[in-house]
Amino acid sequence: MLSLWRKIRRTGRVAEPAPPLPDGERPERAAVLGGSVQIRHVDAGSCNGCEVEIGSAFGPVHDGERYGARLVASPRHADVLLVTGVVTRNMAEPLRRTFDAVPAPKLVVAVGDCARDCGVFAGAYGVAGAVRDVVPVDVEIPGCPPRPEAIVEGLRKLTGR
Amino acid sequence: MNLAATGMAAAVAIGLMTALIAALLPARPALIGTGTALTGAAAVAAGAAALAGGSFSVVLPDVLPLSGVSLTLDPLGALFVAVTGGVAVAAGIYSVSYADTADLRARGVQTALPVFVVAMVLVPAAANVGTLLVCWELMALASLVLVVAEHRRGPRVASAGRWYAVMTHLGFVSVLIGLMVFVAQAPDDSFTALREAGRQLSPAVAGVVFVLTLAGFASKAGIVPLHAWLPRAHPEAPSHVSALMSAAMVNLGVYGVVRVGVDLLGGGPAWWWLLVLALGAVSAVYGILQAAMSSDLKRLLGLSTTENMGLVLIGVGAAGLFASSGDHALAALALTAALLHLVGHAAFKTVLFLAAGSVLHATGTRDLDALGGLRPVMPVTTAAFGVGALAASALPPGTAFVSEWLLLQALIHGLPAGGVAAAIAMPVAVAAVALTAGLAVATFVKAFGVGFLAKPRSDAVVDAHESPLTMLAGMGVAAVVCVVLALWPAGILPAVQAAAGGVAVSGDVILRLDQVTGALSPLLLALGLVAAVVVVAGVVRTAAVRRVRRTARLWDCGGGPMSARMEYTATSFAEPLQRVFDDVVQPELDVDVSHHQESRYLVQAVEYRRKVPDRIERRLYQPVLRLIAAWGRAGRGLAPGSVHRYLGYGFYAVCGVLILLAVTR
Repeated sequence: MLSLWRKIRRTGRVAEPAPPLPDGERPERAAVLGGSVQIRHVDAGSCNGCEVEIGSAFGPVHDGERYGARLVASPRHADVLLVTGVVTRNMAEPLRRTFDAVPAPKLVVAVGDCARDCGVFAGAYGVAGAVRDVVPVDVEIPGCPPRPEAIVEGLRKLTGR
Repeated sequence: MNLAATGMAAAVAIGLMTALIAALLPARPALIGTGTALTGAAAVAAGAAALAGGSFSVVLPDVLPLSGVSLTLDPLGALFVAVTGGVAVAAGIYSVSYADTADLRARGVQTALPVFVVAMVLVPAAANVGTLLVCWELMALASLVLVVAEHRRGPRVASAGRWYAVMTHLGFVSVLIGLMVFVAQAPDDSFTALREAGRQLSPAVAGVVFVLTLAGFASKAGIVPLHAWLPRAHPEAPSHVSALMSAAMVNLGVYGVVRVGVDLLGGGPAWWWLLVLALGAVSAVYGILQAAMSSDLKRLLGLSTTENMGLVLIGVGAAGLFASSGDHALAALALTAALLHLVGHAAFKTVLFLAAGSVLHATGTRDLDALGGLRPVMPVTTAAFGVGALAASALPPGTAFVSEWLLLQALIHGLPAGGVAAAIAMPVAVAAVALTAGLAVATFVKAFGVGFLAKPRSDAVVDAHESPLTMLAGMGVAAVVCVVLALWPAGILPAVQAAAGGVAVSGDVILRLDQVTGALSPLLLALGLVAAVVVVAGVVRTAAVRRVRRTARLWDCGGGPMSARMEYTATSFAEPLQRVFDDVVQPELDVDVSHHQESRYLVQAVEYRRKVPDRIERRLYQPVLRLIAAWGRAGRGLAPGSVHRYLGYGFYAVCGVLILLAVTR
């Protein structure tokens, strides 16, 4: 317990100062959420590179939660699906079902090049397509993998904060 | 002859006639079941009449050599006669179809059932030691025959029978010695003479008598540490016999403690009752803890019997403690609570065991991990078990709630009553009752939720069918009694208070405690609960009407369809509790992971085994059993099978006795 306190005191605050609010188009339906966005992450066939960056985006340095975005444990609790990776044939139906399980109004964010347009896996035998071929996509975050700053920036388009 | 005497005579006559018919004629389960139920009905009438004030007494000196048969029905005995009769009615009706199997149609088994009931009805009516012990032994032997009735099913039945036979007879020996020591101080063995002698006994003799009889009676009631037979015999016995044993027979252990301790010995020092209270508290907590871990439905119910008898003994112990410190109002309250709990337990345990028997009858298994999904196929059995499970958990509107509430009131108000001992014992007892109540809820949620709801876990359940009408009727009778006891305990309170020998609770709809402040109305509580549910359901319904209804797929992580293997099992449901009480129950866990031959990274199968051994049994019984085995091995050297050697033993023994006599005379 004491060592924890010592660690906290020695480390201090590591969060980066908040960058200015990104401009660019904000999906209309995101305004309904009122700046509080509950996110369910779905790995549709990712190499886990994007997952590492998402973890980092919600870590202490970039701290996505201070902008109103929060990761939750079930699509039933979520407003937004955060989909990574190409959609593999095995994951196409589960992704569709997950999308159906999210209560309306709902949005989908495609994270990474694979999710946007199949990236290096385009044309591979197990690939059903990009995310937008399976469910409607509202925001895309490019990169292979995208930097945590890019992910936070993409999510701030939804929270508007 | 008044109604009580007529009822008793009718019960014994019908019971013995039924037994005679069963012994002489080919098996007729319908006739035997009806006879048993009628015996029970007559016993209920006799008990009710005696409780209403028509007690009777009869002496038949020629029936039994030396001591003669002497019967008296006073309020305490009458309550037990009535409870036993009530259980026999339900079990008798139930057995009409249930006992119609090859094993249970056997002549000995058919005969033993009415004999068992008659013996149980006679035990609380016995008015001298001879009658009591003969009926007690008859009850033990008849129940033993019934326990091993289905011995063709496997070696476990025979093992259960052996445990039961040995334990019940050790208990009998203990009671026998205790009562013989007592009778030696009195002019004859009638209870009237003992009652007078009991007031003049020296504390040491009284203490010996009490401890010996307590050990014997506690082993019959399944009290820790003498409970080892109970979780073995109750599951293996046919279910209507389990109901009779668990709801009626174990009660007689409590009857023995109250009769000898309170009535014949006239109270006694505080340490007796602290001992009873401690035994009760340990049994209650340990019993329900083992029940919570159990995944065998009938074993779970058997262990819950240990728990409930423990609660009853907590009440009896508290009553004795209050009486020894002179607080008779509180003593009456505690004893009323204990006896009310005993009556309630008899009702709900009958329902639960009969429902478990119905499940066993339909599916052939009592393993909770293989059950589930019984609600659509066995709706009546499910409803009956639900009523029983609610009654067994100390939540309103349940049967056990009222009695446990009264018990807690007595314990809480007893804090200033009895000096240092009570000041320490009462908070511990309150904690034990509270912990027991909590664990009981978890246990019965598990039994009902895993056993009856959700999806079927095995093919046996898919092919299940609802039980025949008479089995449902047997369960229905007991379930209705449960509901009545839960909603209107005032209906039975006068009878219980007459048996407890003091009025502690009054009121019809609202129960008010005398001497101490406290009031409760089970009926209004239940009505309030129903009203709240109706209001909430109405509000939700009106709110939901305005929205568009959408049918959505059940969330199954997108994978689906969910199979029965993904459900909670009884084992997994109890796992968190098992972790919390890890140090107490000390489960044995075993995880085997087998890999594919090609690669160690690919798992072929994972096998998980969990066993919750009875720790008290291992610590207490195993050393004794090992000692007896060693004794036997040592004795084997003396018996090599040579006739000459045996003749020599006889010769030297006679010579030794002669020399001894020559020297001492």
